[in-house]
Amino acid sequence: MLSEREQERYKRQIMSFGQEGQERLKKAHVFIAGAGGLGSPISLYLAVAGVGRITIVDMDVVDQSNLNRQILHFDRDIGRKKTASAEEKLREINPDIMVNAIDVKIDETNAAYLVGGADGIVDAMDNYPIRYLLNDVAIAKEIPLFHGGIRGFYGQATTIIPGKTPCLKCIFPKAPPGEVFPVVGVTPGLIGMVQATEVLKYLLGIGDLLMGRLFIWDGMQAKADEICVKRNPGCEACGGVVKTARNKK
Amino acid sequence: MTVKIRFFARFRELLGTDIVTDVAPGMMFTSLITTVSRKNPAGYAAIFDENGTFHEFVILMKNGKRIEIADAAKTPVEDGDEIAVFPPVAGG
Repeated sequence: MLSEREQERYKRQIMSFGQEGQERLKKAHVFIAGAGGLGSPISLYLAVAGVGRITIVDMDVVDQSNLNRQILHFDRDIGRKKTASAEEKLREINPDIMVNAIDVKIDETNAAYLVGGADGIVDAMDNYPIRYLLNDVAIAKEIPLFHGGIRGFYGQATTIIPGKTPCLKCIFPKAPPGEVFPVVGVTPGLIGMVQATEVLKYLLGIGDLLMGRLFIWDGMQAKADEICVKRNPGCEACGGVVKTARNKK
Repeated sequence: MTVKIRFFARFRELLGTDIVTDVAPGMMFTSLITTVSRKNPAGYAAIFDENGTFHEFVILMKNGKRIEIADAAKTPVEDGDEIAVFPPVAGG
């Protein structure tokens, strides 16, 4: 049940998807991997939308060079743990939700445990090895992975539903080399909003998700493209997964 | 015959995009991308390794269908083809 205060807080979006939808958001638990360029806008907007429980994981400390894009963190937070800064801001922006910020490096020993019983995983990482790990957890738990990636003015996003869509390894079987990538804050802002919109639609059960579609944004040309992506039957991550096969961890 | 090549992300910065080019019948996918990307050495180096093979992370599509790197050298391009070449974008 929504409190009177929640009814008022969310009334303009309840106009869009109803009280039942808002209650679905309140019951949802979303796992956000990363409190950086993508994780900042995603967590802020999922918090204000009323997603009832947000787990956000990061291992870094706020650096001055983060502040052009990582809008969860302020100048005064330089030197603080990103999780401490994130938890404070998210709780302030919406005291009616639960926020669990975990200061840890995601790796193969803890990824499934950290995700726990979340309804979905948001990929707000900056490297492919951990993305592949999140992809494996999403497949094992049969929960969606909302992928996003950015570089400079370019970005990409897709929604991975295990058993139904290609997984991240089907689409990108090999990681690009690591680099210090250029980034302008507006790009993770935009791609993060695509991911957050996908999360809300999935939780609400409305609209058409970016399933089997890779959304590509070119901010320099102000052009959005869409590329159809297919499952790879020989995929080393999901090749054996079919809709009826259960492999929960 | 004419084909359209669309580069994305960093490849686009280095080589441009929506390149419409005339090709001879029987030209293979790899030869076409090699020829077009040679116009900018940095663009070529972003897509191909020192042996002239696609970097393993490069994604190749022909008319919306994935072309495996291993098959690209023996996949002919055809009139009207739309070819996409892009890297995974890694930042967050």
